[in-house]
Amino acid sequence: MAAHSRIFLPFRFAIFTSQNIRLRPRLILLKAEHYSRISHQEGVGASSPHAEEWTPPLYQEHVPTSLFQKALLTVGSAAVAITDPYRHDMIAVLGETTGYYALMRIRDQMKADPVGQLILSERPRINTRTVDLEELRNLPEGTFGREYVNWLDRNDVTPDSRAPVKFIDDEELAYVIQRYREIHDLFHTLLGMPTNMLGECTVKMFEAVQTGLPMCAMGAVFGPLRLSSRQRWKLRNYYIPWAVRAGYSAKCLMNVYYEKRFHEPLEELKADLKIPPPPQVPKSTSSNYSRLYKR
Amino acid sequence: MAALRSVSLRVGRICRCSNRITVSRRNLSEQTSSDETDKEEGTERSTHFGFESINESEKTGKVHEVFSNVASKYDIMNDAMSLGVHRLWKDRFMQVLDPLPGTRLLDVAGGTGDIAFRFVNWIKQKEQQRRKTSGAEFRLNPLETDESGSDTGLPSAEDYLYSEQRGDLSDTEEKKDSKVIICDINQSMLEVGKERAKKLGLEDDLVWVTGNAEELPFPDNSVDAYTIAFGIRNVTHIEKALCEAYRVLTPGGRFLCLEFSQVSNPLISSVYDLYSFQVIPVLGEVIASDWKSYQYLVESIRRFPNQEDFAEMIREAGFRMVTYDNLTSGVAAIHSGFKI
Repeated sequence: MAAHSRIFLPFRFAIFTSQNIRLRPRLILLKAEHYSRISHQEGVGASSPHAEEWTPPLYQEHVPTSLFQKALLTVGSAAVAITDPYRHDMIAVLGETTGYYALMRIRDQMKADPVGQLILSERPRINTRTVDLEELRNLPEGTFGREYVNWLDRNDVTPDSRAPVKFIDDEELAYVIQRYREIHDLFHTLLGMPTNMLGECTVKMFEAVQTGLPMCAMGAVFGPLRLSSRQRWKLRNYYIPWAVRAGYSAKCLMNVYYEKRFHEPLEELKADLKIPPPPQVPKSTSSNYSRLYKR
Repeated sequence: MAALRSVSLRVGRICRCSNRITVSRRNLSEQTSSDETDKEEGTERSTHFGFESINESEKTGKVHEVFSNVASKYDIMNDAMSLGVHRLWKDRFMQVLDPLPGTRLLDVAGGTGDIAFRFVNWIKQKEQQRRKTSGAEFRLNPLETDESGSDTGLPSAEDYLYSEQRGDLSDTEEKKDSKVIICDINQSMLEVGKERAKKLGLEDDLVWVTGNAEELPFPDNSVDAYTIAFGIRNVTHIEKALCEAYRVLTPGGRFLCLEFSQVSNPLISSVYDLYSFQVIPVLGEVIASDWKSYQYLVESIRRFPNQEDFAEMIREAGFRMVTYDNLTSGVAAIHSGFKI
């Protein structure tokens, strides 16, 4: 197993450090009056005391859900995510259903920082329509933007493949998690990790420390179950400790306006954000295989 | 006036499709509310799409989109949502239909082919049974070898009977007569059905046609049985679909419909509602990455008329001996009518 119990103690995701925590009345189960939106509009059932709890959709693609449904979604999406790693939408859903309090904490962090406040007010998005990839390709080698498009091409991914947010019942927090999803690829570039399972687990551990999202922690803990023992050894001894150290030493990466920093050299940016370089993992050949594996 | 409203009138209505006047009991209040779903809004009429209100012209397109999205995972989702019970419903449906070899069946909205496959297997089983029973009894060929026949010129009673039976049983004729045509408006569903037919080895026995239930591309009086399973609630104009069913059936033909319906028992109803609205969309999201289509599904079930009202609609289309059979306390119902 890659994750050690010792790692979890200093985690910064204490959910009650947020000063703005508000316990809204939560829908446990949808009531019968909520099923018929038409009867709601016509006034039937409006006299019932539960009628006010119904939240209409707060943003496009928003699907209001009750606590029971969120619990079911959590269990279902976790089960599917671990069995079928190609279902990225399930990991996204898991993040949305479990991440409410962590997102409130991130929002507080963003509000406390001037760049974070700017991001929250301007709400920049990263997709092929808002970011000009051709322009980034024309940047000199070694710059952040150029390394980003190189990474996209090397791993055959596009910034358009992020699923829209559906299950967060707050409009601003929906933007926060959307922003997190869109800069996930930038984290890969900054950390120098590919999109294979090993790289993803490392980045997830890094994000778990940075953001405190339970989905990241779960991904980092259960993701390695799909790896071979050699990869798990590498993860446990090199990548995970490095990811945790990097997560703690780095500044809050949600407060960085990446679109304005594409022209900066990558190494300087990493130094500024206090991200250490990737670890040197010794190549395990047939001769040193057994020696390396002796615990 | 409340008193007037509660009086029930016997009103003569001309059946929409058959030009036959049927007498049906209608309450005064019902007459005014019968058109509530077809509100005139200028020139565009509005109808329901689940719990939303949309224009009638949009509904067919939106339903088409829903089924294009769900086609690939349709069968898995059916099993997951109903915990496999839909298979029992469809088996019961085929038992009620009880087709004889030689029936021509039109299965409308039969996309992935569940009913059609059951029909083919049923006919094959019936034919096998008949061959077995006839094979056991029939030893001689009385028409050709008559050495052991009686001295009188007349055939014996046994010979007469056996010859009749023998005359009826020619396998090739029966196989030619039994036909099933699967009609669906959505090509993706038909493609999924064709794949399944290939896997089951039934591809030669089936015909797949794209068509709208409201305007079937078949001639009048051309099929002996018309079935529609879990499809009629998605049709924009149910009355039109019923009229088309009446048109394509031969006299004596049977209309059979399997559809979700209303549960009358309040305890079961509350459990069913809870399950429908809480669990089914979640299953849709987790298994098929599609919350909205399955939300539409459970909402469209609630918007469909109940057993009695739907039976009345079938009667208005001209069918007679309209009956219905509840399955699983009304979660599903089989409606049956004859064109006689």
